[in-house]
Amino acid sequence: MKVGYYPGCTLKGSAKALDETTHLAVELLGSSLTEIEDWTCCGATTPLTETRIANLIAQTRLLAKTRDAGYDALVTTCPFCFSTLKRANLTLANDELKRRRMNTYLAEDRRLRDYETPPPAWVDYSGETRVLHMLEWIRDDFGFQVISTAARVSLKGLKVAPFYGCQLLRPADELAMCDPENPVLFEEFLGALGTDVIDFPNRIDCCGSYLSVARPEAALRASCKILDSARMHGADTVVVTCPLCFYNLDYFQDEMLRGNPEFKQVPILYFTQLLALALGAPLDKLGLDSHKVDPGPLLERFTVNVPGEVPA
Amino acid sequence: MVSQTIPVEVISEKSGGSAEVTLVPIHVMGRRYMVPSDLTIMKAMEYAGYQFTRGCGCRGGICGACGTVYRLPDSHRVEVALACQEIVKPDMFLSQLPFFPQNKAVYCIEELDVDEGTLAALYPEIFKCIGCGTCTRSCPQDIEVMDYMAAAIRGDIARVAELSFDCVMCGLCIARCPAEEAQPLVAILARRIYGSHIAPRAQHLQERVQQIDDGRFEDDLNELMKKDLVELKELYVGREKEPDMPDPNWRPTDSSYL
Repeated sequence: MKVGYYPGCTLKGSAKALDETTHLAVELLGSSLTEIEDWTCCGATTPLTETRIANLIAQTRLLAKTRDAGYDALVTTCPFCFSTLKRANLTLANDELKRRRMNTYLAEDRRLRDYETPPPAWVDYSGETRVLHMLEWIRDDFGFQVISTAARVSLKGLKVAPFYGCQLLRPADELAMCDPENPVLFEEFLGALGTDVIDFPNRIDCCGSYLSVARPEAALRASCKILDSARMHGADTVVVTCPLCFYNLDYFQDEMLRGNPEFKQVPILYFTQLLALALGAPLDKLGLDSHKVDPGPLLERFTVNVPGEVPA
Repeated sequence: MVSQTIPVEVISEKSGGSAEVTLVPIHVMGRRYMVPSDLTIMKAMEYAGYQFTRGCGCRGGICGACGTVYRLPDSHRVEVALACQEIVKPDMFLSQLPFFPQNKAVYCIEELDVDEGTLAALYPEIFKCIGCGTCTRSCPQDIEVMDYMAAAIRGDIARVAELSFDCVMCGLCIARCPAEEAQPLVAILARRIYGSHIAPRAQHLQERVQQIDDGRFEDDLNELMKKDLVELKELYVGREKEPDMPDPNWRPTDSSYL
């Protein structure tokens, strides 16, 4: 299966560490990810009304472009991009009217000049590209057993709390990734890395999401509850897949400390940082300098200890 | 299309003569005119009696003042052009769009803190872009407007600067954008940032400016100032020129100014 990679806008800005460690980890697994060309924003949210179909144009163009570039699937690490693209893909596969309207529109995406030779005609898109989250791709294309074998650093003793967030779980019938009430995918992944996975009740809560813009105090309360719970259940770190979860859980911790001097800070990690670390990446390649709460001191004891095999 | 031909007088230095000009119908803001078929939209409108005080600048396709939208009778599509560049098409329905409101963010380019969020901080509405592609279709310069807006959203300033380089700021994309963006303003901000913060400094230019400041060319200039017009002309005409396709190792015979 030939896969294209869709990083998404946030991964080129505030969540660079997620993009860089995604590439790093995949390279350490002996593979590589190629970004599709000239991508736009995925749309960020799925339109929730039947009539608002303009918000499907970008996804349709992206998915068709991926297909036309010869890829079978599109892999994303950002759960927002994943959800938006996968749901749009299902709509295009199953909703005949919307599919027709999108294809009619995009068939005229370009305005042809007198002097131009016509580009290849638009081929109707009806959901041919598979949309995969990085976790699914690793599970299905590599297998968790393989990363377990490939791991060069033992993360035994690192107590990690997996935090799912919302976008990977629901709507479960559309995303078809995990049981939204009792997901195990993230635990299996972290277990394969050799970590001690902590079970804590708030792992499928909402971090506050975009309320961090409109009502930051509400997002702060939601995030604080998650961190307190993870800490109480013994976690050294909370691991996330989503740049927005990362932002709310990490960036707000100074504020939490100001509000409550008893609050104990918890470093937040992207799952790809942990994967790259387990596969032997040195700490300074993990983008840790972008974190508000420095995970450096926690991770120092888990760096490569096999002499002569440190990857560049 | 109903075209007609009319005889015209041809005035040339050598001899008087006559020729025929084909007239074609165009519709300017709904009104029909017969205009010579080989005129640009702008000249055709002037031929029809319009006088431009706005919506006309350089007449050379550079200033972007004469953005025009039109439709042809056999198509539902909206076409765009710079009026000074495009030749009239028979039966076109057109209107010029000399100005479209747009709010420029206020910034001091030297003092900007440049990172991935700079464009978004000054133009937060870029996140409203839904990627419909209308802007790209509305660009008379064939710029990939949607793609540079996508680059702006992810903070890739150099890419925005590169993709938008040919923008003449005619504003047609602004007029057509369903997300109410002002794309050319975002693009020119990116090009300004690129020029002032990202592009490498030209070392040789700074050295030359320093030499001028230090007075290295003062005597040569004073010498020139003393010459009369005839001598100046001789010097100018007789100066040594770089050949059209110079050898990479080409140097002038007199290299005292290098």
